[in-house]
Amino acid sequence: MDRVVLLVRMAIRNLLASPINLLIGGLILFGTLVFVILGGLLDSLNQSMQRSVVGSLAGHIQIYSSASKDELTLYGQMGSDPDLKAITDFPRIEEALSKVENVKMVVPMGVSGALITSGNIVDTTLEKLRDLYKARDGKPSPPKLAALPRDELDRRIVSETSHMRQIIKVLRGDAEKAMTDMLNGTAVDPYNLEALRRVEHDEFWADFEKDPYANLEFLENRIAPIVTDTSMVFLRYVGTDLDKFEQSFDRMRVIKGTPVPRGHRGFLIADLIHEEQMKLKTARRLDKIKDARANGRLIATDDELKRFVKENRLQTRELVLQLDGIKTQALTKSLQDALGSKETAIGPLLSELMTTTDENFDQRYQQFYGLVVPQVQLYRVNVGDMLTIKAFTKSGYIQNVNVKVYGTFAFTGLEKSPLAGSTSLMDLMSFRDLYGYLTADKAEELKEIQKQTGAKTISRENAEDELFGEGAEVVAEATAGVIDPDTAMSGAGRKLREEDLVRRVYTEHEFNDGVVLNAALMLNDPTRLDETLARISKLSDEQNLGIKAISWQKASGLLGQIINVFRALLFVAVAIIFFIAMVIINNAMMMATIQRTQVIGTMRAIGAQRGLILSMVLVESMVLGLLFGGLGMLAGSGVLGAIAAKGIAAPNDVMYFFFSGPRLIPHVTGAPLIIALVIILFVTVFSTLLPAVMATRISPLRAMQADE
Amino acid sequence: MRNAILLTLSLTLASPAFADMTKEELGKLLTELDDRQRNGGDYKALAYLEQKEKDKADVVREVMIFRRDSDDKLVMLFTKPKSEEGKGYLRLDKNLWSYDPGTGKWERATERERIGGTNSRRSDFDESRLAEEFDAKFVGDEKLGKFETVCLELNVKPGVDVAYPVVKLWVDKVNHNILKREEYALSGRKMRTAYYPKWQKLYSESKKAEVWFPGEMRFFDEVEKSNSTMVLMKSIDLSSLDQNMFTKAWLESKSR
Repeated sequence: MDRVVLLVRMAIRNLLASPINLLIGGLILFGTLVFVILGGLLDSLNQSMQRSVVGSLAGHIQIYSSASKDELTLYGQMGSDPDLKAITDFPRIEEALSKVENVKMVVPMGVSGALITSGNIVDTTLEKLRDLYKARDGKPSPPKLAALPRDELDRRIVSETSHMRQIIKVLRGDAEKAMTDMLNGTAVDPYNLEALRRVEHDEFWADFEKDPYANLEFLENRIAPIVTDTSMVFLRYVGTDLDKFEQSFDRMRVIKGTPVPRGHRGFLIADLIHEEQMKLKTARRLDKIKDARANGRLIATDDELKRFVKENRLQTRELVLQLDGIKTQALTKSLQDALGSKETAIGPLLSELMTTTDENFDQRYQQFYGLVVPQVQLYRVNVGDMLTIKAFTKSGYIQNVNVKVYGTFAFTGLEKSPLAGSTSLMDLMSFRDLYGYLTADKAEELKEIQKQTGAKTISRENAEDELFGEGAEVVAEATAGVIDPDTAMSGAGRKLREEDLVRRVYTEHEFNDGVVLNAALMLNDPTRLDETLARISKLSDEQNLGIKAISWQKASGLLGQIINVFRALLFVAVAIIFFIAMVIINNAMMMATIQRTQVIGTMRAIGAQRGLILSMVLVESMVLGLLFGGLGMLAGSGVLGAIAAKGIAAPNDVMYFFFSGPRLIPHVTGAPLIIALVIILFVTVFSTLLPAVMATRISPLRAMQADE
Repeated sequence: MRNAILLTLSLTLASPAFADMTKEELGKLLTELDDRQRNGGDYKALAYLEQKEKDKADVVREVMIFRRDSDDKLVMLFTKPKSEEGKGYLRLDKNLWSYDPGTGKWERATERERIGGTNSRRSDFDESRLAEEFDAKFVGDEKLGKFETVCLELNVKPGVDVAYPVVKLWVDKVNHNILKREEYALSGRKMRTAYYPKWQKLYSESKKAEVWFPGEMRFFDEVEKSNSTMVLMKSIDLSSLDQNMFTKAWLESKSR
């Protein structure tokens, strides 16, 4: 012990004796500083991303069928969803998993996507009109309309008819303009023009009530195709037990509307999708300009904001097409007053309103939301609407499902993240309808139809030989058959009654007792994730559950590997720094040893053993490393602390996910400090070994000769 | 008159000077191929559809097809399996609508719509409109199995919306039935090969002549090579249809 104290004291005394030591110390300090700061940032980033992934979709562990063709990746693989085999006995799996120690909750899931097309403005207006007429005439119609009294239905029919006539007026105006442009080569389809001429006359509307359905079909087939701006939204959704999801993913909060009532079918739209893709484009652009200005950007100098203003000014048609005659008049008057304009046409007035500058923006923004928005539909899908989702089933055919939108939701801190905010939520029953899993009953029915038909399967390779080879007879006489749709249909077919489905309350057993594709597991102690994964894997083998369990990181696919890539890059950078340090330390220590030949020789002459000399040089370099490394760690921790005081702002919306919110708050973690310490000790000792051995070989005689 | 047309067609197809036919003459030939299948009056059929795809369960459907060729109208009503009952398509003018009684919604479909999730298209069930939609050119004489055929290349006319803009047809020289059809995208990529191994004929009162229709159609997907579709016409009836059949209201009423 005395010897160690002596060596340390000697090391400290010699530390500042040589400027070379300061150079070496500086290098160690720099390397440690970089490692601690970047390591701390990466650790914080990793933890933030874990919070995002675990808290928004994955849970701590994901399970899926081990017979799946692909591995589960919750955020898709190269734009497509993985091909997972359906889990058909989820209740058994849930029961087994619930008994695993550390498993808090098992949330059944299935991820899929669908394209929502809503037709153009004429299609949607005519659809409303058709539904109103059907409700008025006592035909099957949406329950919300069927419940309305006759006079309210009549009032709405008049309003929608007026809207339709206004749209026709706009389309006629477009046709007129196209005709005047004919000299420039723009042609008007005479077929369209003929239809427009017919429906713009009062006679068409005067007789409309005589046969509303035939007249609606004329409008649907001849007028609606003239408008080409059909809008589409791609909705990615998770089918899940919504109650369990809400309980497990506590960062989830409803933004608009309400949660789906317990046990009901229903849909919650991701709020970001609702804002980005379902809001009026003009309104969304105004919101973006407002946000950008709040962050110090100016319309006058920012190209993107200039573009938004230009688009708002030119694209007023989507607003004009939403207005009926009465609303057009009212809005024209209020805009004339607000803008002090004498313009009488609504299009130019809206353009004027949208001509925004840094000076008038706030006022125009208020005017838009105060005067225009109350007259139009701000969102294409509203809370309370019935959304028709059309998706490709597992077998490849298309399935449609109506599902009520109860609200929109977001995850706290991830409101702007496109990764966390792009997935909507759907009840598990609707998800199963869309997934189209072939039950044993359905498979039997299909088999029976195939059997009755007795059709022969022919392979592509042999098709021509089998169909047209020797013995093939192509021509045959037919006899007329009786084809009656009323007798051919069983009547027990798929007649989903919208009202019943919306009102029906499902038990937890019903939610669980069906197909799921995967499930999220929430743990009591997330630090024991690996241990829990191993237990589940063992359990699956023992009880033949046929499931595979993976961590949140693996379930997030490429996304989960990003941190590992960054970490690898950091290690490479630090390795380079410390390799350079090793070379420099080695050379410096060699020089230092040569400089101290006399001292070491004298020490050897007065009885110092080689072991003491070796220890002296090594301890000296270790003390040097620990001192400057320690300073580096302190400085690094200080820098991280300073950064943490304010946090690092997410540079864009995508980084919200990695930062688990608008700012990354880094913190010093143990791992980088321990790793830094190990690296420093290794580098200093390894690079000093050769000079230290060299020092032990200095003899007193040689030291004295050197003096002479 | 009909016999005269068939004789002309027969002579035309058998003629060694086929390669020298003008564009107009080839157009006339397409008209004649259409005319063999045209009823002029009403038409209804019960068809069986089967789609096979790798690693997927077979898609099996029964569908009733109602046509009024004089007005270019078409209704398709699915009757089997139960889960598909009441779904359908309605073609009016240039519009193709699809209907799902489960949602009560009508949606616009395009010419590329996969009927009932199979690789068949609306045009496979509708009146043949080759002359109206395509310009033809002669490719050559080819043997298809034991049949001597004439191969034609058809290119879509400007402004016409069809599922595939380029088509190759193999027409039986003896019976004048289309035996094979290859369909291509504009890029030249082959998309689908169709075989018509059974042609049936039925006397039509409205036409006062026989109407030909393919009793069996086999479609092989050329993109997803393992996918194929079979269509069998189980029954045909050429009697008159209800006046109000080609409306949304009629199709809706079938699933009430």
